[in-house]
Amino acid sequence: MNHKLNLEVRQAEGALLRVLGTAERRGYQPVALEAGPGEITGEFAVLLTVRSERDPGLLARQLANLHDVRHVEVLS
Amino acid sequence: MNGAEFLLRALQHEGVETIFGYPGGAILPVYDALYTSSLRHILVRHEQAAAMAADGYARATGKVGVCMVTSGPGATNLLTGIANAFMDSVPLVAITGQVATPLLGTDAFQEVDIFGMSLPVVKHSFLVRSANELPQVVREAFRIAASGRPGPVLIDLPKDVALAPADFSPLDRAQINSSPAPSPAALAHAKSLLRASRKPVIYAGGGIRLAGAVEAFRAFAELTAIPVVATLKGLGALPADHELFLGMMGMHGTKCANDAVQNCDLLLCIGARFDDRATGPIKTFAPDAKIIHLDVDPAEMGKRRTPDAPVIGDLRAALWGLALPLKIDAWRRSCLAEKKTGAVRYDAPGESVDAPRFLNRLAAAATGETFVACDVGQHQMRVAQHYPFARPEHQLTSGGLGAMGYGLPAAIGAQVGRPDARVILVTGDGSILMNIHELATIARYKLPVKIVLLDNQFLGMVRQWQELFYQEKYSETDLYDNPDFVKLAEAFGIPAFAIETAAQEDEAIGRLLQEPGPVFLQVRLDPEAKVWPIVPPGKSNSQMLEDPAFTGAPS
Repeated sequence: MNHKLNLEVRQAEGALLRVLGTAERRGYQPVALEAGPGEITGEFAVLLTVRSERDPGLLARQLANLHDVRHVEVLS
Repeated sequence: MNGAEFLLRALQHEGVETIFGYPGGAILPVYDALYTSSLRHILVRHEQAAAMAADGYARATGKVGVCMVTSGPGATNLLTGIANAFMDSVPLVAITGQVATPLLGTDAFQEVDIFGMSLPVVKHSFLVRSANELPQVVREAFRIAASGRPGPVLIDLPKDVALAPADFSPLDRAQINSSPAPSPAALAHAKSLLRASRKPVIYAGGGIRLAGAVEAFRAFAELTAIPVVATLKGLGALPADHELFLGMMGMHGTKCANDAVQNCDLLLCIGARFDDRATGPIKTFAPDAKIIHLDVDPAEMGKRRTPDAPVIGDLRAALWGLALPLKIDAWRRSCLAEKKTGAVRYDAPGESVDAPRFLNRLAAAATGETFVACDVGQHQMRVAQHYPFARPEHQLTSGGLGAMGYGLPAAIGAQVGRPDARVILVTGDGSILMNIHELATIARYKLPVKIVLLDNQFLGMVRQWQELFYQEKYSETDLYDNPDFVKLAEAFGIPAFAIETAAQEDEAIGRLLQEPGPVFLQVRLDPEAKVWPIVPPGKSNSQMLEDPAFTGAPS
């Protein structure tokens, strides 16, 4: 099952790697990633689509623990 | 002042007194600055030990541990220690030298992408590309390491940044973020489950100590009078001799602890994470229980078992908010009766040293504040089972990562941090050889660590699994050609002796504890002795195998 997550991520060294790495290691296969400048200067707006049978809310909580992730919400 | 000098000044500003490390090319500017610094540096003999000693220091003192090494192999050698701190939520700041910024990405000598390699095992990390970043980076590193659920933070410092001008003042000291209290609604829901329960059990984890909630936990347990089981890292949250304590749960837990969990109608998981070694197959774990899960980390909720009542936030506030007297006398009596029936026996027959009895006697003799570090394997489980801990911080064990080689450097870190306390290392003959060089550190700094080597000339835990579950095919676990450990310890300048009979146990313990300075005791054990009880892999915690010597069951 695919899940979409919307993230606001600080533009810091390794920030996107941490997001992708966390998703993969926790059992959520990234199938699409869109990233660009966010509304706030110095932030990425990220739309991440992952495939997993696991609860997307759990991934959202794990991503929220990353220091560079300012906001995360599960869209679907 | 250059970046290196500023770094050391900023570390001192954060309250750092001791660094565990090993010098090398890329970190040379910092070691140059260290030459005239008042910071204490403990020179280990392998970078892995620097991280593990800083870990032991952090666990024993409650402060952030700091380690420092060079780039390339120095940094990669640090990784196991960083992973260990990550898995066990230990606050650590690891500083690695790096090649100069113009050389980054060119495969320069001793260049490795430690920032990238360590991403999955750090709470956060920084690659400092300009000296201007240093004040903020150092403060953030300490704040992140110690706030909320603690963990390791890496600072990768290129050599040119360390040499660049840095005439800054350290920023205000890092403020550790206090964890928010749980929501009143979450507490009210959890309380309603608690009131309705007739057979509750507390499942206590290492998070209780990390949250500084030991006293609140003890008050909660005593007010509610709920029977308590503990994970490996939760041992000591309630003193081992407390009436309500049923013992460790899980693969090598007590039968009464596992039975209580399996039969309870409500499980209060407090600062624990449903680790597979504790639960066995999650579908068979506490099958009839509702779950209240108390933790500071929202990402633990539902990771392995979805709680009926998640309570996220500061454990102390959660425990005070949930405390209420319960009418569960019949259940408690039944748990305590099983505890009494299954009490561990220390009357093993035979003339050989019995490791459980030895450890129990060691604990009885080691009065005063005593930290016990251990490695990983049979001896680790025996310490957990037979060394009664009065406080959780007294046990230094690699719980999550299960890293052989942890014990000796962790004992060093604990003894450096707590010179007033006694530190005992209990290790195995497989584990000790993974960081044996650290005996040189013990000798160099005259650290009075008491080392007990439980030597069965095998990788005992793997051998035990091979005997019980792999048709006695002892593949690569026979350590028949171990070195002469007594001579080896003496070569490092550490007094050493060996015993092999039960009759020698008490005298050896007396000598070990009374002799000043470090002592190395080799205890020769029967290689066939196994750790009981054990839950076979893939079985539920209801299906424990017990010691056939005491049960009459077939071995």
